[in-house]
Amino acid sequence: MKNAKLKIGLIAIASLGMMCGSAFAAAEKRCTAGGVKVECPVITEAQAEAASKAFLKEGEDMEQGKGGSTYGIAPFDYLTGVGKRTAASEAGAKAGTYKGDSGYGGAGQAKTRTELWDRVKAPKSDGVTDKSVYDQWTNNWSPTFGTTLVAGADPTQGKQYYYVYCIACHGWLLHGDGPSASELNPRPRTLTRGDYMQKKTNLELFQVIKGGGEVLALSSSMPNWGNVLQDQDIWNIVAFIRAMQDVPPPKSVAEYLNPKSTFKPIKGDVDALNASNNKDFKEANEMIESEMTGRAPGTELVGSGFVKGGNRAAPNEVVVKVAK
Amino acid sequence: MQSKYKLLTVCALSASCLMFGAANAADKPVVIPGWQNAVPDGKDTPTLDPMLLYSSGGVDGKLAIHGIPSFRTYRHIDCGVDTHEPSFSGSNKGNKNGTPDGKYVYLNDKGANTICEINIQTGYLERIIALPFPFGVHHIALSTDGKTLFSTGEYSGKMAKTDIKTGKTEVIDWGPAPSAPDYLDADRKGKNVYVGNYYHSTVGVFSTSPFKLIKEIPVGKNPHGTDVIPESTLVLVSDKLSATMTIIDTEKLAVKKVLPTCAGPLHSVMDVYNKDGGAYRPGIDSADGLTSKYAYESCFVADANVKVSLSKLEVVDEIPTHYRTGHISISADNSYVMSLNKFSTGLFSPTGVMFPVNFELWDAREQSPTYGKTLKIMPVDGEPHNAKSLWAYQVKDWTKGEAERGGLIDKKTELLDPPHRAMSKRYFIPKENTPPGVKTAADGVKEIHMKAFSYGYIPRQVRVNKGDKVRLFATNIDKAAGITKNPDVTMGLTIYGPYGQRSNMDLPRGVTAVHEFTADIAGEYEIFCTHFCGPLHLEMRAAFFVDDPKKGPSNLAVGDYAEAQKLPGLLEEGQLTIAERVKGL
Repeated sequence: MKNAKLKIGLIAIASLGMMCGSAFAAAEKRCTAGGVKVECPVITEAQAEAASKAFLKEGEDMEQGKGGSTYGIAPFDYLTGVGKRTAASEAGAKAGTYKGDSGYGGAGQAKTRTELWDRVKAPKSDGVTDKSVYDQWTNNWSPTFGTTLVAGADPTQGKQYYYVYCIACHGWLLHGDGPSASELNPRPRTLTRGDYMQKKTNLELFQVIKGGGEVLALSSSMPNWGNVLQDQDIWNIVAFIRAMQDVPPPKSVAEYLNPKSTFKPIKGDVDALNASNNKDFKEANEMIESEMTGRAPGTELVGSGFVKGGNRAAPNEVVVKVAK
Repeated sequence: MQSKYKLLTVCALSASCLMFGAANAADKPVVIPGWQNAVPDGKDTPTLDPMLLYSSGGVDGKLAIHGIPSFRTYRHIDCGVDTHEPSFSGSNKGNKNGTPDGKYVYLNDKGANTICEINIQTGYLERIIALPFPFGVHHIALSTDGKTLFSTGEYSGKMAKTDIKTGKTEVIDWGPAPSAPDYLDADRKGKNVYVGNYYHSTVGVFSTSPFKLIKEIPVGKNPHGTDVIPESTLVLVSDKLSATMTIIDTEKLAVKKVLPTCAGPLHSVMDVYNKDGGAYRPGIDSADGLTSKYAYESCFVADANVKVSLSKLEVVDEIPTHYRTGHISISADNSYVMSLNKFSTGLFSPTGVMFPVNFELWDAREQSPTYGKTLKIMPVDGEPHNAKSLWAYQVKDWTKGEAERGGLIDKKTELLDPPHRAMSKRYFIPKENTPPGVKTAADGVKEIHMKAFSYGYIPRQVRVNKGDKVRLFATNIDKAAGITKNPDVTMGLTIYGPYGQRSNMDLPRGVTAVHEFTADIAGEYEIFCTHFCGPLHLEMRAAFFVDDPKKGPSNLAVGDYAEAQKLPGLLEEGQLTIAERVKGL
């Protein structure tokens, strides 16, 4: 059962075991990095198909209530009979009452209560505490970063948005193997490929996330995210991508939670902290803004504002330090 | 006979029966899930329901009326394209059900950018209030004095205050962009309106008079439900991505507590009691001094409803739901909580390519032997967004000539069909894989190829010229919905406003939906997903720009917005009464 619980978070990792550097075969002449044409870092068609199937299988397993399902296991499911019952609720059921099934409320039930996030509890051997289990459940099994590689941006905050908006195509581990990757041509970039990503400037990453692939004459399948995400959210995602450079498929939960990036900040590159004084950034951002929806020139709805919220800190208030 | 009936019921509901076949199931004794014993054998609820549930139909454009606790469906009333929030006329005092006066239910239509006024006593659509453009209404909230409706302009970053009698609407900007005013609630003292903004990740506090933003309170990531408790002292905010409930103190206008509740929280409802501690009965009890004990929060990802004690401000219970609770509703007598579930995977018999969503009624009475148990679950057409409960005594029986004694019709009363069902040619084709984008076909038609996934559209922006004939291809490319992995995920695609009905399409997996229409009204119109696909369903948006070469590129300030408001049959800004359907429809 423990393995099954672990599976919910690590399914994508398992499906990636086969993928290592040399397997990225599909080459596209249109890929450039640092102004030089390079091989496109994308997965093969077969790998994309396998990733899609693995994801669909997980969905079907869930429908059938197999281990790792998020359907109806917390804490007791009356329709399927799946889930935990406490001793108190077993006694109650025999007596014809169903009080206390949730494990809350009754005297002496505190120890037996079933938290929703218990469903993905990891083995203690991997050093995962209850609190981090909660974080993993709500934040999809993810690391917390003590440092950043992009000044003024917090990779931990960026990660949370990555997991809900980007994984559909770029995959849980940024390898370009999301469930929808097989539907796209060209396929989404593998964002961990160091030899490629090291040549991509922060400015380029920011532009493509905010304005979409077409801003830099790249794939039209990369939509713009400039409305869904504020500028600072995008910077946080850039910081998360930087923090995952050359991170291989993990072999354990502990390894998964502590990724080691090889990225070295590019000299003279723009970051969240200096963006407001950077001419190139301002020009690029204004161009993207001019194409965004939801704007009304001459009114309050001009765009690109900073609004505090969603644990969003201004660049100069980001407390996570730049890695040395 | 009785036991055979039970066996069949269990098989219909149990995934294991479906997997292993009935023969296998018949071989061994069947364990009957507890909830099925809730209704004693051979008995069912009475046909006269003590309470009613008014539910917005979502994509079916209707208002549905169900009985509580029978969970029988009484009727559907047409409103328009994509209905969202029902709100009873009267006052907002009390809990989310308010203090209905039994006259009207207002229902906003996100697809058409309107508010329908439905006469509770006649059961007919009586009036449609056309909101200004650009706006993009998402939800509405009634004021305490019952004279005003506040609404959120999710697709324009605007807020509106509509005088119900005249239909006059005051619209203000809530910048900076991107800005998405989403769910809202007004306090019960007529002072402030609280509005979640999922792009800002804040709750905006607007004073009701003058109508303006007075404060923005940072909350967790991407807030949704923003619900004021009956005492008006707290606002409960469901932080979708932070798995928390942010509780705001309305005196200090500051965060009082952040409570970890569940994964994917969306909305909250509370119970409500009169001064003597009994269930609140509008029209009978005083609307002053109302109190509440518990709030119930819906948890989409966790498949649960979480019960929060309002005195302790902590989670005290959680009830499993089936499945993916979106909105949540409470019966007028506080006895039952209705979980409005967005998925029914494997629960009901198939009736076509679209699966039904479902309503689940569970017993919230702590002293009941079936406390916390699901008593009723029913498949529901459309994709309901919110439902409010009314005591059945507030709807009089007019069926036996009582109107002859007056009280029902005292002026000309319109009995409307939605007037803006403009037509488009629509069909399904086998799933096509043309790259996303806009191109001109050989016959001169602008072909738009869109892909929908959890959670977004590709491309995000589409531009055509005014007068273009448009052929819109939309394909759901999900394998299973984003982080919730539902294998039966359905997407929707609707361009709000004048293109609402023309573009209102369902996107089940495995096919491509095609609509053809003429883009004859310039402006910027948001495209949105009409099938609840996951916690980031609302963020799943794109935009349809129709540029008038004479005016230049459209934006929220440039477009044929006056014309857009004249949905066929709607004549002028503000309060509009339509006496006849549009010619040619």
